[in-house]
Amino acid sequence: MHGLRRALAEPLVQFLLIGAVLFVGLSAVRAAQKPVVRIEAQDLNQLATYWEAQMQRPPNKVELAGIIRDRIDEELLAREALRLGLDKDDMIIRRRLAQKMSFATEDLAAAEEPTEAQLRAYFTQHADRYAAAAHVSFRQVFFSGDRPHGQAEQAARQALGMSGETKRDPSGDPFFFPLAYDGIATRDLERDYGQAFVQALERAPVGEWSGPVMSPYGWHLIEVTSRTPAPPTSFESVRDHVREAWIDERRTQANAEFMQSLRKRYKVIVAGVPEA
Amino acid sequence: MDRRPSRTAIRLTAAATLVGAVAAASAAPGQGPKPAAPLLAAGAAPPTQHLPGYNPDRNAYFGDLHVHTGLSFDAYIFNVRATPDDAYRFAKGEAIGHARGFKIRLAGGPLDFTAVTDHSEYMGAMREAADPNSPLSKEPIVDGLFSPDPKKIGEAFARVVAASHAGQMPASFSAPEVAGRAWTEVREAAARNYQPGKFTTFVGYEFTSAPDGRNLHRNVIFRSEKTPALPYTARMSANPEDLWRTMDAWRAKGVDVLAIPHNSNGSDGLMFEQTKRDGSPMDRAYAELRMRNEPLVEISQIKGTSEVHPSLSPNDEWANFEIMERYIGSNHPVTKFHGSYVRTALLDGILMREQKGFNPFKMGFISSTDTHNAAPGSAEETNYFSKVGRSDGLPVQRGSVPPDGARTWPADTPDSAHAATPYQAWGASGLAGVWAEQNDRESIFAALRRKETFATSGPRIRVRFFGGYDFPADIATRPDVVRTAYAKGVPMGGDLAPSSGQAPTFFVWAVRDPNSTYLQRAQIVKGWVENGQAREQVFDVACSDNLKLDKTTWRCPDNGASVNLATCEPDRFKGDVELKAVWRDPTFKPNQRAFYYVRVLENPSCRWSTWDALRNGTPPNPTLAKTIMERAWSSPIWYEPKS
Repeated sequence: MHGLRRALAEPLVQFLLIGAVLFVGLSAVRAAQKPVVRIEAQDLNQLATYWEAQMQRPPNKVELAGIIRDRIDEELLAREALRLGLDKDDMIIRRRLAQKMSFATEDLAAAEEPTEAQLRAYFTQHADRYAAAAHVSFRQVFFSGDRPHGQAEQAARQALGMSGETKRDPSGDPFFFPLAYDGIATRDLERDYGQAFVQALERAPVGEWSGPVMSPYGWHLIEVTSRTPAPPTSFESVRDHVREAWIDERRTQANAEFMQSLRKRYKVIVAGVPEA
Repeated sequence: MDRRPSRTAIRLTAAATLVGAVAAASAAPGQGPKPAAPLLAAGAAPPTQHLPGYNPDRNAYFGDLHVHTGLSFDAYIFNVRATPDDAYRFAKGEAIGHARGFKIRLAGGPLDFTAVTDHSEYMGAMREAADPNSPLSKEPIVDGLFSPDPKKIGEAFARVVAASHAGQMPASFSAPEVAGRAWTEVREAAARNYQPGKFTTFVGYEFTSAPDGRNLHRNVIFRSEKTPALPYTARMSANPEDLWRTMDAWRAKGVDVLAIPHNSNGSDGLMFEQTKRDGSPMDRAYAELRMRNEPLVEISQIKGTSEVHPSLSPNDEWANFEIMERYIGSNHPVTKFHGSYVRTALLDGILMREQKGFNPFKMGFISSTDTHNAAPGSAEETNYFSKVGRSDGLPVQRGSVPPDGARTWPADTPDSAHAATPYQAWGASGLAGVWAEQNDRESIFAALRRKETFATSGPRIRVRFFGGYDFPADIATRPDVVRTAYAKGVPMGGDLAPSSGQAPTFFVWAVRDPNSTYLQRAQIVKGWVENGQAREQVFDVACSDNLKLDKTTWRCPDNGASVNLATCEPDRFKGDVELKAVWRDPTFKPNQRAFYYVRVLENPSCRWSTWDALRNGTPPNPTLAKTIMERAWSSPIWYEPKS
């Protein structure tokens, strides 16, 4: 008895004993806290449905067991990978997380409604975007780009010269598009004829044949018969467009600001680039 | 001076598109949408009964009659939140947001007309279900339905399709008040965005029937704002015959309407089966019911082209174009090609006319996109973002760049038959073309009704096609060529009068899309009945580059056009601005039923997947075609002998 009491009084023995108790206790706790992998019924249903959609029939018992086994394997491997830190330095996982974050923050700025004054200021600032269309009436004569090398342009020049001498309308090749347009918006011509053609049309003199002008199809002589300049645009008629553009710009700005705020919260060091 | 005035223009356009796409993808500040087009003042129209641009010889108008927005159950699951208004804004050339956050916009300029055609089944229900205050949000099926994760999106889509198939969707998803709210939004958006003379809208919806997953979808298009209070959906009957009878009833009440079937390629032989849906034999009443309601077929779209399959037309060297051999919405392979492709259906139709006295398959052609991004006309190879929102919005998701950020393709890269998703086999196609006097609902709907329509694989190729017996010899060079053709013949979609011995002459005239490459050849596809057999032949009728047509083989020599795959720059100085031909059918027999349609082929150009790869700086997917030959198809002209 005496010997035991003396031994218990020894600091080394005390230390070992306390250690042993702690070890047994912690092991028990750890066993009780063994991580649980739970596959919920909803998850299973979803997997089975997905399988069925791919295979066009419900899975049988064996296949269902296989689906469950695969799902458990996937979960265990994923958990273990996370525990070992395999998600670090993985480009795919990093991108996916970044995408999720940007998606989550995308609509942060969506709620703000602009004031009347803000909209009017925006409208004035971007007046060119809301300008109405100018209209033009014209006739044209066409020289096909399929004519051999350089001949279309040359034929157009000759026809223009002849027309000047004879005071009669020039003649050219049949053309797929109308040979006369009555009061068409110049911006509506741009899609089918290209910007260069429309610009030439806008500069062409009124009441006489001029050209030749190049298009995606060949060469044209044109006679502008009348022009109507663009009428002024009222703010009211485009208010909805202005509002959308304003909100869109604000959202882009808010996203940029969010990135800015993130930059402030981290110190970013790039190899080879001096620190800011 | 270049013989081709516009080579530079092409290159500039391509470069601008590239820059535009990059800028749009990064959505940098200051790279805002194209200036919003202000609404035309009503007073700007001239005080005549005709609208601006009226043309008695008819204009070609381009549009899209197959467009989904966030009101479609699947589009909403794909994270698409765009509205019918957004779809019309996109069609008019404005920029809208994509489900992946970047801006999208047509590179080729605005369309002339568009119909928003959301799925009528559960229309608007997903948007309501995503609102936590809605009773729909409490349904168990809603749990996890609206994830931004593409894998979860695929599962959610499959779950809803399976539940719908099993009749297990909650009734609240089809409640009349839910559908009614969506339908009102569809109708109001069409009314709001209609600008006669400039941009035409149609009210429409998609009837989404797919017995056992075999696709019988069709789009229903209304002529005016007069529509039924609610769509007739495939939940009421999966049998299209019931839809047609309902359309007849609507028409009797003054609601004019037509339906356009699509993706016959995913029907596994069902779309053009030769019996009624219940298996009983077809009869004249069936054929008339069908043709009264379905004068047109959508021949090409993003989920593949349904003109012709290589196994059905082995002598057509151009048949293997954007072929998609899976069911719609699943990976199930298609095995029955007969009944799934349009040319064979047209042949079956004239054969039935011969043997039974009626033709249930006398259809004109259009194409459309079937976009689920609310992006009408988004069929541009250089500006492609596919069509199902967050599921295929990135190149890596659609198989055009190597997986996992790799710079090269793994040796085991699956081909389109084995890929986990169908997206790599999808094509950037198509557009609907119509010949109409002016840009309004009446003129365009009338063109659809008389089949004076054409289809393209995306580019705005324009094609004229007339048939007749009395065309003057110089018709192709006359200044009044089109007026003469109308006066002396019938246009595409029409019927030739019986011949008293003389062979008909056809006039073909096609012109390039300024934003695409040059034209290589124009062809006439003829189908006819000979000794009780359906026959077909493809005749080249116009060759580019002054090449001489071989009239024994009916083939143009190869014009040698190629594409530099490092830049996607097409060969310079090859191909034509226009192709024109006057062709007399050398095989014509007055007693043989026949149809004729035009196919115009462009020079080869880069497929969208090659453009994606080029922008990514990686090689194109080795299992995919690197280049394609874009094309246009006219509606057929039919010949019927004297009875």
